[in-house]
Amino acid sequence: MTKQITNIRIGIYLCDCDGKVSKKVDLNSVKVAIQSKAEFEYIRAVEVACTKAEREQIVAEIDKYSLNRLLVAGCSDPFIVRQFLQLADDKGINRYNVEFVDLSAAESVGAAVSAVDTALNRLHLRAEVGYEELAVIPDVLVIGAGSEAAAAAKAIAKNQPVVQIDNVGTRVIGLDGFPGAFTVILLENGQTVKKDFGAIVLALGAVPQYDKSKYGGVELGADVLSLSQFINAGKDYAGKKVGFALGKADEDSLLSFAAVLKAALDLKEKGASEVSIIYEDMKICADGLEQEYERARKKGVNFLKYTGEFQITRFASGIAFMYREPFLADPAKIVADYIVLAEDFVPAAGTLELAEIFDIRTGPGGFFQKDNVHSLPIRSNRAGIFFVGSCHGPIHGTDLYNEIEAVLAEVSAFAKGKVSVPSLQPKVEAEKCAVCLTCYRCCPHHAIEIVHGEEYNNMYFSAARMNPLACQRCGVCAAECPGKAIQLPLYSDQEILFEVQQPARIVAYACENSGFLASEFAKTLDPELQKDLQIVEVPCSGKIDIIYLLKALENGADGVMLCVCHKENCKFVWGNDRAEQRKVRAQQILNQVGLGERIDFVHVAANQGNQFNTAVKAMAEKIRQSGTNPGKVVK
Amino acid sequence: MIVAEGKPVEKILEMLAPYKKVLIAGCRGCVTVCLTGGEKEVGILASQIRMARSKDGNPIEILEQTEERQCDAEYNAKFLENVGKVDAIVSLACGIGIQYLGEKYPLTPIYPGVNTLMLGANIDVGRWEERCFACGDCVLDKTGGICPIARCSKSLLNGPCGGSQFGKCEVSAPVKEDIPCGWQLIYDRLSALGQLDKMSEIIPAKNWLRAKGPRTYVREDLTLDRS
Ligand code: SF4
Ligand code: SF4
Ligand code: SF4
Ligand code: SF4
Repeated sequence: MTKQITNIRIGIYLCDCDGKVSKKVDLNSVKVAIQSKAEFEYIRAVEVACTKAEREQIVAEIDKYSLNRLLVAGCSDPFIVRQFLQLADDKGINRYNVEFVDLSAAESVGAAVSAVDTALNRLHLRAEVGYEELAVIPDVLVIGAGSEAAAAAKAIAKNQPVVQIDNVGTRVIGLDGFPGAFTVILLENGQTVKKDFGAIVLALGAVPQYDKSKYGGVELGADVLSLSQFINAGKDYAGKKVGFALGKADEDSLLSFAAVLKAALDLKEKGASEVSIIYEDMKICADGLEQEYERARKKGVNFLKYTGEFQITRFASGIAFMYREPFLADPAKIVADYIVLAEDFVPAAGTLELAEIFDIRTGPGGFFQKDNVHSLPIRSNRAGIFFVGSCHGPIHGTDLYNEIEAVLAEVSAFAKGKVSVPSLQPKVEAEKCAVCLTCYRCCPHHAIEIVHGEEYNNMYFSAARMNPLACQRCGVCAAECPGKAIQLPLYSDQEILFEVQQPARIVAYACENSGFLASEFAKTLDPELQKDLQIVEVPCSGKIDIIYLLKALENGADGVMLCVCHKENCKFVWGNDRAEQRKVRAQQILNQVGLGERIDFVHVAANQGNQFNTAVKAMAEKIRQSGTNPGKVVK
Repeated sequence: MIVAEGKPVEKILEMLAPYKKVLIAGCRGCVTVCLTGGEKEVGILASQIRMARSKDGNPIEILEQTEERQCDAEYNAKFLENVGKVDAIVSLACGIGIQYLGEKYPLTPIYPGVNTLMLGANIDVGRWEERCFACGDCVLDKTGGICPIARCSKSLLNGPCGGSQFGKCEVSAPVKEDIPCGWQLIYDRLSALGQLDKMSEIIPAKNWLRAKGPRTYVREDLTLDRS
């Protein structure tokens, strides 16, 4: 558990990085200035901190002065970061108690001192992060009846116990608990039973559905078959002519293309007299598909490209596709005994119900999984619940095996029956919790429960509690709590508000997955622009509390920015949407009292340094128009 | 739960015009749950007022404090020290809490920071709906568990009126957002329960005296003799 640590002993190392820093800033002056004002245990300026000899000396100093927190100011080379984290691990210093300050950008002693001082204060305010040993259930539940589910279950079974259900005979009707200890409520032979699993894999598959409107209203019949009818019937077509049509349905996946190639080769082997495939776009960009295509060509399968619409017409001699070839003036025709039409894929029965029971999001076409790059390939919005196969959009062949690999990597974390996790999930101060359920409802990852007991010191004897394995540390809950009862370790309100006590002209709250990375890149593109800008890093824009926006302004900033990831692309589902709603309210609050336009909300991806700078310039222009912030409160 | 909404800040600024130092008092009860008057909103309002007053060249000092419930004297006692330091109080509790905190400190003016709206349910984050009027004479037994007083715009005891259309109340948009007809809801529920015969029972006029204040509720079996 997190506890406020009383005996904080900080060691400060000012590294010259082999003369790089002292070109601009005299490190000794920095040292003297820090010594005169700050609280710490030990300080030393070093020439190059990343040598073996220095490492040994620092180890000795940690022992001698009983240091338990470290501040390293120098360059921000990943090498030195890694080295100090390793050193901390070796010496039993919590790696969350090591702070790094980049002095390479500092232009003056004053700037360097203030950067070190800020980091030092951060270290003082930081609560101790503990690790929790948690017992977890290794058993995995695989839900689905098809070949995808079977393949997933078989692969997982090599490492840990698996139960596979079809969700028809045995059906899921409820879910409790968190990753490592889910309780699934099942309906089995009319009886309700509860079973415990550490993780759940959804592999319901997708089902083909013939849509006649895509084929000019043609009904299926004896000589017009849907692709799934054709495959399932498995009839003998020796001596027959078969034509397949692709491109009108299932346009976005490779599934139909792969199935048709396989069927065509099969037909050829079994002696069909003529096999033709009409297609609009060739779709063979998956492992093995191109070879299949080459083989089919060699075996004499006809591949015919069409453009626009085609008709299906009956003749005395058979049934035909009438189509337009892109390079020929006259319409073309293929006559066959049977024609086979590709179908669309739709989510299997039960998809929507399970999404509701599990509180997981669905996306395009009603399949599982939101269309969000952070979920790829197999993640849901809940830790411990994964997707495999076509239940989250039709997939094919090797993609399935890649997904199974990814699932194995995730579920095997529970195979040993226990895990150790840093206790970094938000902590609730029970006295302040009104059990209002706001956090519970706003958590994008279903990581919160309400617990009861004598120890919860409020009138309800209850409080919200965040599960360490389910929580993904976005901080949305903390920013939403009306009682200010929730603090996210390493990003407490105290720590963040401390940084904006004396803010720069523009304060940019930046999400560490997007805006913050863009700001780092932006620095290198236009260092001049950084002068009036202060970046405050948050784990997700969903952590940007409305009070952070107001306090920065109250303390004297002229403008505030929220730098967030692109829409529909938030790592934490709706963190950026919540941030946008808060921005709107904060601006209203300013407008109500005539403080002018001072808040900007910008979507920037990690690599958009230029866009970041453009946004900063736009903000500067906006506050130039609105004038100096008249709401600044002089203390 | 009691549901309240924040008062427009210009009203609050008007009330506070004469003062230089005030306390904003929050409540951890219903108004925290309805996201209107907990510690967070206390902080937001305080920040907004400080900035507004700085802008007007008339700075104000604001203390912030939130306690368990302003509708109980024992919790209100905790405001003592801060009340002693200020010229006025703004309370973000419901109307009950505002008055009750004011009664505790009769020499310090107290002002409402919220409008108390209704007895409602929290449908989802950011949405509340009225369910009960506290009429003092409950008829839910006759109406399938759906309140005709709170949920019929005319509080009809024997509805629906002629204005009920497609399940919507005739008082709906453009007057308010679409309101479901309370009596349609009652009809649907009674029919689901197989109790449609209740629709033809006449509900006699209520004793509206019980809905009229000032109301007091005393339980002799519980009152303490503190003499
Ligand atoms: S949002 Fe805050 S007050 Fe509400 S339940 Fe969660 S922790 Fe408690
Ligand atoms: S930090 Fe995010 S994931 Fe964790 S409990 Fe809070 S809202 Fe949920
Ligand atoms: S009938 Fe009266 S007491 Fe009953 S729910 Fe309606 S308003 Fe409330
Ligand atoms: S339409 Fe329905 S809710 Fe509206 S006044 Fe008439 S009975 Fe009441």
